[in-house]
Amino acid sequence: MAAVSIHQFAQCITCHAWSPDQTMVAICPNNNEVHIYKLMQEKWEKIHILRKHDQIISGIDWSAKSNKIVTVSHDRNSYVWNQESSEWEPTLVILRLNRAALCVQWSPQENKFAVGSGAKTVCICYYEQENNWWVSKLIRKKHNSSVTSVAWHPNNILLATTSTDGKCRVFTTFIRGVDSRGSGTGLPYDSKFGEQIMQLDLSSSWAFAVRWSPSGSTLAYAGHNSMIYFVDEVGPSPSAQSVSFRDLPLRDVLFVSEKMVIGVGFDCNPLLFMADDMGTWSFVRFLDERKITPLNSKYGSQLLESFTVNQNME
Amino acid sequence: MAGGGEGSSEADNLEAIIARIEHKSRKIESLLKQSRPVEALKTALEGSPLNTGDERCKSANWIVVHRAIMAIKDDDGMFSLLDPEYYDILMKYLYRGLATGDRPTCDQCLRIHERLTERAGLGCILRSLADTVNTV
Repeated sequence: MAAVSIHQFAQCITCHAWSPDQTMVAICPNNNEVHIYKLMQEKWEKIHILRKHDQIISGIDWSAKSNKIVTVSHDRNSYVWNQESSEWEPTLVILRLNRAALCVQWSPQENKFAVGSGAKTVCICYYEQENNWWVSKLIRKKHNSSVTSVAWHPNNILLATTSTDGKCRVFTTFIRGVDSRGSGTGLPYDSKFGEQIMQLDLSSSWAFAVRWSPSGSTLAYAGHNSMIYFVDEVGPSPSAQSVSFRDLPLRDVLFVSEKMVIGVGFDCNPLLFMADDMGTWSFVRFLDERKITPLNSKYGSQLLESFTVNQNME
Repeated sequence: MAGGGEGSSEADNLEAIIARIEHKSRKIESLLKQSRPVEALKTALEGSPLNTGDERCKSANWIVVHRAIMAIKDDDGMFSLLDPEYYDILMKYLYRGLATGDRPTCDQCLRIHERLTERAGLGCILRSLADTVNTV
């Protein structure tokens, strides 16, 4: 299967997010701006530019129900953007970081968002009605290195993280006054903020791209050693599968269903993974057509491609 | 490597490792005599990781693995018998071989490296580079 359609918005895109109805996409063209494009008469038109950050924007998330955009940047701050009449109005969120913010995600109920940072911390941000202010609460001293990705469990309480210390961790993020106690999570540990539920040390290299399956029963993340990990029974005694594949490492993963995962990374071609009836995960195939390269130049050219991606990422 | 109190247990540990390597060496020699080079290679790659930074152990182990790698003449025959679970660790030893700079060793390792990369992909190289469990 080849790509359905291709449109080049910029030379390099550091992050992107789709609007709830998928008619718009917000991208960062590798600078301190967010550009919002809308599909109009089969053409993508730039309809908004969000200017407020001072440095490269490293994460964007667009909430599905409340139609809010949250952005985080290397300038260590975050903005929540609200659409009022036709304009997007920013609200500053002071994350209280001393290093760059790297990734962001809205919680399922959209009353909190999580930010991973280069300061070895995770910020859980929530809105305080009485002060008309977003508050950032930090999970400190749990990560030994930068937090590369964050993912919310559907229950709005558990948060999974990956880090360049190679570990995947799960925390509770219960916040009094924001989350109601025993809010249908069925979990015994929704009481304390920042408590670590689980730590997995499967990868001997950087870990990236943690995601929950739609039901929240399986966790997947990628290692920089061309491995993908699938974790069931998240809790005190998790069961994990390590799947190695023959090509370059993954940078992000997406659950299409409980049994199907798509991984994207340095091979410039999405990989499809599936679980069989026994729950055993394996690589199935590439989604895109493989580029045919002359046999002799094969390895050289693949390395070159991956090098280009790497540069773009930075 | 902790302080002086563990000195004796450390020495015991080294002795145990050397004994294991000697045992492995004898097994490989006997397999090579029976003209079963792939079995010999598997034996060389198998076994618990050394888990030591001791250079004597590492080079003693390398001599044994080197012997098995150099005995491989028929690459296709080797890959038809060698299971994929050995690929990552074999790749790591091939890089050790290439690092020696010794002409015949490099020739042999480079040839197997090409075939192994065709078969196991770049992911195998990445895993062998990132591996922190097996000391080679």
